[in-house]
Amino acid sequence: MKGTRIGNTYLPAFGLVAAVGLGVAAMILGDQLASSISGLCFGLAGAVGGLSGSRLAMAHFDRTWTEEQRKELERAERDERNIAIREKAAYSSWYWTLYLLWGVFFLTLILGSGFPTALVSVVIVLHCVFYMVNMNRWTKRL
Amino acid sequence: MTNRIAELRKGRRISQAELADAVDVTRQTIISLESGRYNASLLLAHRIARYFGLTIEEVFLFEEDTP
Repeated sequence: MKGTRIGNTYLPAFGLVAAVGLGVAAMILGDQLASSISGLCFGLAGAVGGLSGSRLAMAHFDRTWTEEQRKELERAERDERNIAIREKAAYSSWYWTLYLLWGVFFLTLILGSGFPTALVSVVIVLHCVFYMVNMNRWTKRL
Repeated sequence: MTNRIAELRKGRRISQAELADAVDVTRQTIISLESGRYNASLLLAHRIARYFGLTIEEVFLFEEDTP
């Protein structure tokens, strides 16, 4: 119980405060920081803030749920139609992400930027590799 | 594939929520099954048929078998 409280409340609260602090610090320091460091600070603050905030919100909702609502939520989580919906959504999302990446790839080609083109190429390859690795994993399991 | 879930459920005066509880799915799944938008897995079909005390073939009807 104590561990749950640390993981669900104190750690996310600390993360949220740290994220806000990092964002504010990056804003105050402004031009004194290199643009890459400033971007990293804002990116990190956004990611940590988002994760911590959502964790805090989930913990809050979790406390307010009744036993009946909790059971219903657990059922919805393992409901076979919901699982099928998630799988279909993930499958089509994979294609849309791929189309989007190809769009960005051609855009970088048109704009003539070298490094972003290479970066997007790597992301496209990784996107497909992860898909194939998971296909192979599930082929063995099913 | 069609099914007789709605007919059997109404015949036994059972609500969608009660059936959903009994076979451990959401009410939305029962609604989708009854409207024919979703086809149950073999496991769920088995649970539903067992709940009504019937065989899978008596609850779920394949198009080619329907008269």
